[in-house]
Amino acid sequence: MIELEHVNFAYEDQPILKDISIKLGEEGQNVIGLIGQNGSGKSTMFLNLVGILQPTSGAIRIDGNTYQYDKKSLNELRQKVGIVFQDSEQQLFYSIVKDDVAFALHNLGLPEDEIVRRVREVLTQLDILQLKDRPIQYLSGGQKKRVAIAGILALHSEWLLLDEPTAGLDPDGTRRMIDLIEGLSKNGQKILISSHDMDFMYEIGDYFYLLQKGEIVRQGTSETVFADDEILKQCCLDQPWLMQLHQKLGLPLYSSKAQLFTDEQLITRLATLK
Amino acid sequence: MLSIDKYAYNNLLAKWRPEVKGLLWLFGMIIAFQPIMVIKLIAIPTVAIATMWAVKVNFHQYLKWFYAVIPFIALSIIGIAVTLAPRADQVYGGIYMFGNYLGVAKSMLPLAEQLTLRITTAIVCTYWFALTTPFQQIILLFKHMHFPSLLIEETLLMYRFIFIFVDSFEQIYRAQQLRFGYANLRLSMHSAGILVKMLFEQVIINYQKMVYSLDAKLFTGEFTVQEDKI
Ligand SMILES: Nc1ncnc2c1ncn2[C@@H]1O[C@H](COP(=O)(O)OP(=O)(O)OP(=O)(O)O)[C@@H](O)[C@H]1O
Ligand SMILES: [Mg+2]
Repeated sequence: MIELEHVNFAYEDQPILKDISIKLGEEGQNVIGLIGQNGSGKSTMFLNLVGILQPTSGAIRIDGNTYQYDKKSLNELRQKVGIVFQDSEQQLFYSIVKDDVAFALHNLGLPEDEIVRRVREVLTQLDILQLKDRPIQYLSGGQKKRVAIAGILALHSEWLLLDEPTAGLDPDGTRRMIDLIEGLSKNGQKILISSHDMDFMYEIGDYFYLLQKGEIVRQGTSETVFADDEILKQCCLDQPWLMQLHQKLGLPLYSSKAQLFTDEQLITRLATLK
Repeated sequence: MLSIDKYAYNNLLAKWRPEVKGLLWLFGMIIAFQPIMVIKLIAIPTVAIATMWAVKVNFHQYLKWFYAVIPFIALSIIGIAVTLAPRADQVYGGIYMFGNYLGVAKSMLPLAEQLTLRITTAIVCTYWFALTTPFQQIILLFKHMHFPSLLIEETLLMYRFIFIFVDSFEQIYRAQQLRFGYANLRLSMHSAGILVKMLFEQVIINYQKMVYSLDAKLFTGEFTVQEDKI
């Protein structure tokens, strides 16, 4: 569990995160969403969570231990908390896919055959094994994103922080991202996702935090956070369309598109309207 | 992604042994620092043409890679050659000010010429090496030579840094060009000024980002080479 206690963060003198106190990863919360408009401080919070930035005041704890910022502690922290940056190009260091994915594993000093095994495993998991020998700069944006994720996933860290994982992905890419996240969370991986893609978040998350101008203005499950249209409007966000169907058309609240379109009862009732 | 890097993987010399390329580069450096000017004058066009051939780019594109470094070479040359001298015949193109003549010092000119040639030779040779040798091969080369890991790290980060630099330059220049920043001389001067300022800021930001990502990937200061098993 990651706990933030009265965390403040400022760039120079400009406060970005304001008195944030939350507990990430309580029982039953495997996929956690951090939602907020552009500039609300999502990426800044992520950088604080991996110890790249240090809170101006307040403390962050992981499994009860307060973050320490010496080299050794940070190294341990980052084995527990892996981050995939918003801009995946930024994350890629080597020029060939497999080298880049193996990079962090070499840094961990794992034996060679373990590295080979893990690289193959994540490349298969992300369905990019066929790209292993390709130079990264010739990949598409979505493929690069997956390579960046692979490089972190290979670490087998307890936490995975995904900053805007669907930005720039086509519908198929988004679909795959949902499948990937669902698969990972089934295996007990804890995932924190930042996004303003409301429909994506609605479908994928167990628990949500609404961030506005550096403050957590609301938290809860999808029913509580997405039900309040007013607060979402204040945060310049839209309600997920499944929630809109529920609130504005009086349909049941479906948890996914698939659930809606396979609701036999609804389909028969709609048929009578013709 | 850093655009120049791709040439290192897709050139006619990519499959050459890195040791051979490393030795050739070293040879180029010796040429750059030896005193006979004529050899350098021959080496520069030869290596430049060899690079354009191997990397399959035209002269125009090749020249563009120099834009990013020209301001710095120019600055250092000017710093050496331009002086204040008490007598008008000590300088070329002297302008009288504060009781002295500002101009290109006659005594310094040969030195400036030498320096220009030396730097240009070194850069042309280094570009040849960087454009034809993939990142991984460079590490392999250094490891084979039993370089200390600190030196390998420094060198590779610098290598990366050059790409960041060129990349930032291209991005800013393109953005300015798209919005007619170089439409006439006055605008060009203005844009070039902004370009230099932005370049420094951008490089620092990009460098910071690179450090973040190295941190996230638990970089310990040692680069490793992958044996080809995956
Ligand atoms: N390096 C920096 N120096 C100063 N201010 C910064 C820096 N990085 C971000 N900011 C500012 O911090 C605020 C929060 O930025 P952040 O990147 O965390 O937002 P975000 O919620 O991730 O936005 P987005 O949805 O656009 O990714 C913004 O107002 C931004 O201008
Ligand atoms: Mg962000």
